[in-house]
Amino acid sequence: MGILSSALTVSRFRVLDPTLPEGWREIYRDRLNEFAFHEPPQGMGKEEGEGWCQIKNLLDTEFDDFNEWLYNGWAVFQLRVDKKRLPMKLFKATLEKRGKAWCEEHEVERCPSTVKTELKERLEHEWMVRMLPSSRVTEAAWNMEDGYVIVHTLSEGSVDAFRKRFFRTFGKKLAPWSPLDWLEDAKTVENLLATGAEPVVSLEDAAPLESVALDDGDEK
Amino acid sequence: MSTDGLPIPSHTAGEFYVWLWWTSEGRGGVFDLAAPVGRVDVWVDERIAFRNPEEQKVVAVMTGQNPSASLEARAALAGGKVLQDLRIGVRRDDREYFVTLKGPNMHFQGLKLPQVVTEGGEEVLYERMHLYDEICLIVAGLFQEWSGLRTTAEWDRGILPELRKWVTGKA
Repeated sequence: MGILSSALTVSRFRVLDPTLPEGWREIYRDRLNEFAFHEPPQGMGKEEGEGWCQIKNLLDTEFDDFNEWLYNGWAVFQLRVDKKRLPMKLFKATLEKRGKAWCEEHEVERCPSTVKTELKERLEHEWMVRMLPSSRVTEAAWNMEDGYVIVHTLSEGSVDAFRKRFFRTFGKKLAPWSPLDWLEDAKTVENLLATGAEPVVSLEDAAPLESVALDDGDEK
Repeated sequence: MSTDGLPIPSHTAGEFYVWLWWTSEGRGGVFDLAAPVGRVDVWVDERIAFRNPEEQKVVAVMTGQNPSASLEARAALAGGKVLQDLRIGVRRDDREYFVTLKGPNMHFQGLKLPQVVTEGGEEVLYERMHLYDEICLIVAGLFQEWSGLRTTAEWDRGILPELRKWVTGKA
């Protein structure tokens, strides 16, 4: 949890074209349902999936009840991404043993590459079917009146997945928030961009540690 | 995904963080910001992170109680390092916030809100988002004040020389 409890660590985005379409409540409900997380068919092996779920519980993936995700101008939901990852060291060791067993059975010294591939695929399938995925969730709150979204992560990968899914779901692009967005006056933005970097202390003027004369305490 | 919003200059946040640190020490933490923010107290809290000017990676971190008063922190600035993250405490009326302003985007990391309501999903969300908006308003007010100064001739003539003196302990 983050949006609803504990400390907030958020990336902020501006919704480009924040205008909401007529009948947006029903439209967005349907879109959220369409792009919600759906359990992939079991037993296929590499089941990976992503989709929206409710912020209170990642197993709640229906958005029919507005009261569960729409709060007076705020839409809250989270992106769930499930992935299965093989324990590679164990996998390689097991594969090596199976290769050796095949060689012994067929009384040959080396395992042909086609057999190696077949053994690898079979083992991968066996293990994937038995494994549970790890679920990663990224919470978000969309201020629909002011046209911004806060995403509860600073991870570039998670943010990217979120922005892509948001665009596919709502047809709206998210632009990373710039501190310049806080400036109401376009002239100040223009002037600030024209200033360029002016280091407080440039590397040419940098002082060695011993020449810094501080007067706070005994560390002189 | 393309970036269609305003640019995020790599140097802006670092300069703002230094000014914020310097000004908070010089004014005893008191800022009288333009309406609607008004008077707020701001102080550097328990984390300062530096990077080299041409890189984005953090190369030095000072944590613990009052790192802004440490010799190492000022020496890092005097050595030409640039502020990458700054954890600040902010007080407006009786509400106290703590937040790390992170990198050029000034992302909010580890934002502690002065939350009162803790039960009831809807009420909790309203309060937290209201408080989030308030800290945004305050940081925006601070950034606006800095931007106003940074884009005037007074910055080069008066403010920057004073700031440099402070950095090297000659103020």
